[in-house]
Amino acid sequence: MKKFVSLLLAAVMLLSVCAFASADDLRVAMITDYGDITDQSFNQTTYEAAKAWSEANGVDFLYYKPASDSDQDRISSIEKAIDEGYNAIIMPGYAFGPAIQAVAPEYDDITFIALDVSEGDIGDLAAAVPANLYCAVYQEELCGYMAGYAAVKLGYKKLGFLGGMAVPAVVRYGYGFVQGADAAAADLGLTDVEIKYVYGNQFYGDADITAYMDTWYANGTEVVFACGGGIFTSAGEAASKVGQKVIGVDVDQAATIDGLYGEGITVTSAMKGLAATVNTQLEALKNGTFAGGKVENLGLIGEDPDANFVQIAPSTQFADSFTTDDYKALVAKMFKGEITVSNDITAEPAVTAVTVDYQGNIK
Amino acid sequence: MESPYAIEMLNITKRFPGIIANDNITLQLRKGEIHALLGENGAGKSTLMSVLFGLYQAEEGTIKKDGKVVKINDPNDANALGIGMVHQHFKLVECFTVLDNIIMGVEPVGPLGFLRKKEAREKVLALSKKYGLDVDPDAKIEDITVGMQQRTEILKMLYRDNEILIFDEPTAVLTPQEIDELMQIMRNLAAEGKSILFISHKLAEIMAVADRCTVLRKGKYIGTVNTKDTTMEELSAMMVGRNVNFHVDKKPATPGETVLEVSHMTIASKRHNNNAVKDVSFKVRRGEIVCIAGIDGNGQSELVYGLTGLEPLTSGKIILDGKDITKASIRKRSTSGMSHIPEDRHKHGLVLDYSLEYNIILQTYFDSKFTSGIGFLRRKNIREHSDELIEKFDVRSGQGSITTARAMSGGNQQKAIIARELDKQPEVLVAVQPTRGLDVGAIEYIHKQLVAQRDAGKAVLLISLELDEVMDVPDRILVMYEGEIVGELDPKKTTQEELGLYMAGAKRDEVNV
Amino acid sequence: MKKLLKRPGVQAFVASIICILLGLLIGYIVLLIINPQGATESIFKVIQNFFSSKRANLRLKNFGNTLTKTIPLIMCSLSILFAYKVGLFNIGAAGQYVAGACACLYAALGWGWSWLPCMLLAVVVAAIYGGIVGLLKAYCNVNEVISGIMLNWIGLYTANTILSNVKETASPYTLYLDKENPAALLPNIGLDKLFNNATVTIAVPLALIIAVAVEILLNKTRLGYELRATGLNKNAARYAGMAENRNIIMTLMISGALAGLGASMLYQTGYMRWECTQSSVPAMGFNGIAAAFLGGLNPIGSIFSSFFIQHITDGGSNVNTNFYSSQISDVISSVIIYLCGFVLFIKLTMNRMISRSEEKKGEKN
Repeated sequence: MKKFVSLLLAAVMLLSVCAFASADDLRVAMITDYGDITDQSFNQTTYEAAKAWSEANGVDFLYYKPASDSDQDRISSIEKAIDEGYNAIIMPGYAFGPAIQAVAPEYDDITFIALDVSEGDIGDLAAAVPANLYCAVYQEELCGYMAGYAAVKLGYKKLGFLGGMAVPAVVRYGYGFVQGADAAAADLGLTDVEIKYVYGNQFYGDADITAYMDTWYANGTEVVFACGGGIFTSAGEAASKVGQKVIGVDVDQAATIDGLYGEGITVTSAMKGLAATVNTQLEALKNGTFAGGKVENLGLIGEDPDANFVQIAPSTQFADSFTTDDYKALVAKMFKGEITVSNDITAEPAVTAVTVDYQGNIK
Repeated sequence: MESPYAIEMLNITKRFPGIIANDNITLQLRKGEIHALLGENGAGKSTLMSVLFGLYQAEEGTIKKDGKVVKINDPNDANALGIGMVHQHFKLVECFTVLDNIIMGVEPVGPLGFLRKKEAREKVLALSKKYGLDVDPDAKIEDITVGMQQRTEILKMLYRDNEILIFDEPTAVLTPQEIDELMQIMRNLAAEGKSILFISHKLAEIMAVADRCTVLRKGKYIGTVNTKDTTMEELSAMMVGRNVNFHVDKKPATPGETVLEVSHMTIASKRHNNNAVKDVSFKVRRGEIVCIAGIDGNGQSELVYGLTGLEPLTSGKIILDGKDITKASIRKRSTSGMSHIPEDRHKHGLVLDYSLEYNIILQTYFDSKFTSGIGFLRRKNIREHSDELIEKFDVRSGQGSITTARAMSGGNQQKAIIARELDKQPEVLVAVQPTRGLDVGAIEYIHKQLVAQRDAGKAVLLISLELDEVMDVPDRILVMYEGEIVGELDPKKTTQEELGLYMAGAKRDEVNV
Repeated sequence: MKKLLKRPGVQAFVASIICILLGLLIGYIVLLIINPQGATESIFKVIQNFFSSKRANLRLKNFGNTLTKTIPLIMCSLSILFAYKVGLFNIGAAGQYVAGACACLYAALGWGWSWLPCMLLAVVVAAIYGGIVGLLKAYCNVNEVISGIMLNWIGLYTANTILSNVKETASPYTLYLDKENPAALLPNIGLDKLFNNATVTIAVPLALIIAVAVEILLNKTRLGYELRATGLNKNAARYAGMAENRNIIMTLMISGALAGLGASMLYQTGYMRWECTQSSVPAMGFNGIAAAFLGGLNPIGSIFSSFFIQHITDGGSNVNTNFYSSQISDVISSVIIYLCGFVLFIKLTMNRMISRSEEKKGEKN
């Protein structure tokens, strides 16, 4: 009994310090951005993770879809969730930046978990992030590096990078990809690896970009890292015409792209650990160890690839030239600092073995 | 006991808001007879037929077929009872052939859904032979004469084995020769046992073809008479409620200077590659009524369109009151002293869904009397003006100025148009078939108005298809045939027969008017 | 009662209500089929929309949100019904709305104009855009539906291209109006405080005034007399010397101006930003058709029907996502909006029923 009381006391103290919800009355809500929970990307990954965690822990969970793609309606949905008693709000995507600025200071008794929302997205709040807000950003250059490394190791010599728009996250992916490919080429002693590098200047594919990709593939490009929203459709369509490959981004896109453009077309995907972030933060909330008030730059936390916040997809087409063990070894080296990846986006990364053809924007 | 009547409508009463359209009306159609239904416009003939066709439901009264009470809820019921109708405006698909139109809706179809046209053609040919209905089953409707179109409509009814045939004002669109043919067809049909209901207000035709005649007046049943035992005068008195003067009383014309001068007018046709109006010249002077006579479709409509500005001229010149208005807008012509009573009052003359008062100001709404400086309608002035004209021209309607034009009888619609056009004090009045579809009372009234215009020193150009009108009303007759003026006649000196020869193109003069 | 039901105004109202109820019923049945458990709760939440909020200030704020989005819908339905009264089906209202949005946003963000000039530019540009449809109809006899649909797409992609110059670098959305050029935001005239919602602006009273103005224009002015006559009987209008072509062009210009003003009244509240990558024309112009018919083609009716449609659309996001996927909200509101198109049909049925029952009475007597 005594033990129980002291435990209770400790819990109460913890609560008063943190002023956050305990597991007993934790109720989790997720708001979708402009997409839906079936988007096979951010929303779906976040939704599935949050739902699975909530079910496993017996916590109330509900998702809300805003009435329209506007900050005003995102705020409205957040407030609706709060109004209905949800006290932990998960928001996937930078689109929530303005909404967070509006709700985080106003509802200081509610926990806000924002994924892929950077300091730049939350404006004035970045100076002093409220304690009830946790934002996660990812070291895209690391998984970009892994994807580039894997591609070259798997035998591809003519690579392409098709970015959405030249926003920081996309550039980090791209520069990491270049660095990874360069490192693998150096390892293998190859000097004939080429990378074509371009931005579509939009986050969706269209006929123009597909035509551009057609030219690439026709001139020998073997695999394109399609990096940015729906732009993979252009790369996938062009690749399928000539039987070449693509690399997915953000989440494991193998099912999506293969489903659209043919089995086996996706070599790998450079992934952000959205699910891992959701799990970690909800677990922390449950345990009363939630630490908000920051924008966290997530990357590697150990040598186990699957536990990290950046990784390449389990669906990667591993082969003898690059096995899962090779992948594990790579992650271990990166974690230990034996391999460093530059996250500088102000200048193109230095390369030793590959030739990179920067082609700017398609439009 | 078998009933002698094919159809009986007993004590039918049908009310509309503000009006009793049919007040206890009884109509008994014997088997094998031609029965005329006579009445002025607005007397309730159309309503009664709509009740028979199931378009309206009577509040009181019963309908019997062969002595048995039947319920007719919609036109399908009417068809099932063997009731067929030839409408005043034909319900034909222009680009289909005669045969296609006849079988439409009851096409004989084989087991695989293919049409069995051969079967249908044989039946149609047999019918047309039996009743003397001369048609070419393979001709397209748009290529055949109005008379042939009407015969197609009749064949439609016969093809469906209808026993009771209703003809709604069937002679309005026909030439004198075609009218004679139709009469013969009707007699043939009756002789073969068909029962015919013949809606008309042309007394001569009724006397010529009908066995009996039922007269309606203002929604009431006046009586049924045997045509053998009556006279035209008696019938018209029954119809109008007083004695009607068939002859137009007028003093000899005293023509003044020329007001309207048309020279070398040519207008392209919209229907064929030929010109509809070919190099037509004529003058109309103050104090005279000039009539352009001719069979429908000989360029009269186009001539009027060119005159009033609805269609451009290919060449030629129009002078109105000394001013060249060849290129003037419709509005300009109207304000320069031309009034136009249009051929089709529903198409051109009225906005049917506007109130009577809004129709009254259709030509003058922009006048400062009806529109304020900043563009608001002066509703009080409009109402006063409308009430005044309604009174002056005796336009009758359910609710006066606010009656929707659609809810008015044809005669009163026409009166409203005439009120509007005459109130403008025009120098030239272009009246196109102003009495079309109207009853004798209304016709008499309109003819008086035309003569009054003339006597007031205005010019009147009358376009008419009715031989009686052409002979009675004008001071001069110009006959149009295939777009040309083929003769100028003096109505006092000519005969209907001579006029007919000109209209049919059998006779022509070189006319220099 | 019968007499009351025979009045056209009352009929339109009753028919609209029947449509709404039918729509809700079918929506409810759809919910029941998918998952009976949450159906009742969800359908009530849809109907409640902002009333379902427990906190009073949120209720008011969400009411404000619905109101702000209702305004452009009112304008679009006015646009549709105005043209409809003149016998034209201005499906191009959607494109004219886009033209208005493009004009006011570019003026505000590209040139830094203040709100009123921006709004006026939207009106003028949209009027011209509508005028193109009118010109094509009047002088080339091109059906206004065909040219309207074509111009919708042309307008959309032109707007995307033009507004790409004033968009955020990292997103496809135009810049924030409140940050770039607050002067271009419509004045709140105190309504923001009343509703605890900064997007409620002068647009609300303005739209109501314009609805009344449209009613007056159509029924009390010479122009309205001419335009309606043209719509009811083109031939008679021509016979009476009305300038038919000018009227067609003018009608579509006014119709376009109304739609363009609607766009300005939404985008200049800062509620929405233009997404420069959108590949479909905003639904506002099309929903205006439903709103116009549900409102009995009456400008004042449009106010209420537009509010209802927006209310249901917003309420749609209230369905419980534990039982239904969020798309169901679109299904429900679409079903209801779809049924709104049946107003005329319901009116017809109603008249038939009235005359049937009168007959029966007649028989008894």
